[in-house]
Amino acid sequence: MAAMGAGQMTAGTVALPEAPTPPGPFRRWMTSPIGAQVTAAVVFIGAWQLLTLIAPRVPGPVEVVNFLFVEITGGSHGGIVRGQFFEHFAITLQRFSLGLFLGFVSGLLVGILIGSSTLARALLNDTVLVLLTMPAFVWAFLTTMWFGITWQAPVLTVAFASFPFVAINVAQGVRAIAPELKHMSTAFEVGRSKQFRHLIVPAVAGYIFAGLRFAIIVGWNGILLSEWFSGQAGVGFRTRYWFDANRYRGFVGWVIVFIVFIVVVDRVILNRLQKRAFYWRDASEADFIEIEEQQVGL
Amino acid sequence: MTDTVAESIQELDQAQVLRTAAGTRRRRYLAVVLGWIVFIGLWWLLSLWVGSEARLPSPGRVFQEIVVILQGDFWTQFWASIVRVVAGFFAAVLIGTPVGYFMGRSKYWGNFLQSPVIVAGSIPGLTYAVMAFVVFGISFWGPVLAVGLIAMPYVAINVAEGVRGVDRRLVEMSTAYGRNERQVFRHVTVPSVLPFVFAGVRLSFSLAWKVGTLTEVFGSSKGIGFQIRRNYQLFNMPAVIAWVLLFVLFMLLIERFILVRAEKRLFRWRQWERDR
Repeated sequence: MAAMGAGQMTAGTVALPEAPTPPGPFRRWMTSPIGAQVTAAVVFIGAWQLLTLIAPRVPGPVEVVNFLFVEITGGSHGGIVRGQFFEHFAITLQRFSLGLFLGFVSGLLVGILIGSSTLARALLNDTVLVLLTMPAFVWAFLTTMWFGITWQAPVLTVAFASFPFVAINVAQGVRAIAPELKHMSTAFEVGRSKQFRHLIVPAVAGYIFAGLRFAIIVGWNGILLSEWFSGQAGVGFRTRYWFDANRYRGFVGWVIVFIVFIVVVDRVILNRLQKRAFYWRDASEADFIEIEEQQVGL
Repeated sequence: MTDTVAESIQELDQAQVLRTAAGTRRRRYLAVVLGWIVFIGLWWLLSLWVGSEARLPSPGRVFQEIVVILQGDFWTQFWASIVRVVAGFFAAVLIGTPVGYFMGRSKYWGNFLQSPVIVAGSIPGLTYAVMAFVVFGISFWGPVLAVGLIAMPYVAINVAEGVRGVDRRLVEMSTAYGRNERQVFRHVTVPSVLPFVFAGVRLSFSLAWKVGTLTEVFGSSKGIGFQIRRNYQLFNMPAVIAWVLLFVLFMLLIERFILVRAEKRLFRWRQWERDR
């Protein structure tokens, strides 16, 4: 299998079946994790390039990179429109963070309520489940019908879409506080603030963080949809602008921008942060997957 | 003698516990019903305050609309969506299972496929919906493609996990007793990986439905997503909310009554293993 991967790239050099000799440094690098990932990227770009040969309407990688260069540096797209990367990106980030803040804070409050009181849980749990099941584009439609084409529509779409994910996670975290520890610390007269700091915060922090991650993923999808359907600025709007103009290189370019954004934020920054912050927990990653299982499935 | 006394006391205690448990359960049901009443009551008050059917219709008005839909083309529309989503899941399983198999079997392919699968798993649904529309236009296959693409990474990751978790001892024993590779694959690998295929579908279930309906918003002339969009364009707020609520209800029912049960059945052996 490893030989196959190596052969894909360098058919000319190591295609000969060299059986018992120990692998050279190049071959060793090719079969290393990094080598495999680099090969995957190269194969992907090659396949993309091939696709443009079969379907000429698909913009190739070079075309898209050129487009992005012009868009980011603010150059001119064929003398008609100027590149406007930062304007749109900044607007989207503003709305995104405001909506995320609203969704996160309200989710935190409701989650603590649901987690700590049985009555609140019985009252609110179903409502949160219903909200969890609603697709984000519905919020984009509803907020547009309520507020028209304004800044409130995307902000509230993000807030509504992310709220139930935060609430469910936080509720789960609050319920996961070990009752034995709580009883014990009360029995040994540990002060309330001390209990809060050393018992409640460490127990819930991981769940809150997981909720935040979900909120970011779901909210990002929400703001793109909202701006696509009813924006006059922003990443989603700009993506649609190029789509409507039948300039697929612009469309693909912006799609890459918003995918790279979410991958970097979620997988590179948040995932690492989570691992580092919660390394002391026995199985923080396993917990996260478990939580993920419980609610992505909903 | 003392034994029987102790037993009877224990029984009494148990009865007490059961009775209080029933009481708590009854109280909890009551609170759930109360929760719904509060929710609908708040909605009703809010709709009175807003005072415009085009902005926020009252619960009664939406209920009327739901009745109209149920008497009308509810099943045709839902059936259209169901068929597409199920076909999409088939595509996801068809592609995701071999991908996951390779990822789990060999370290090299695990590394090779890891980043693509992770990136594919974090692509916003909008991308798939628009892509499906570009490729297929208004057609049956658009939502199928979108659902397949969105669910595939989940299936792949789970199958990989399942393949890595295949009981080594079982494989060794089978080989020791002279079973060939095909037999081991058929009778050891497949049965232990199958639940993980299901887990992948289950995990991506709601996400895939959401993206499926979104794709119908873009390129379809049928289905729930199309109905939501049509009524949105007609500015028919009661119908939009009615369709959304039907969708939510449908999803929750499938979740509760089909998926949870299927999961319990499929993973019964795991429970058994845990109990042991």
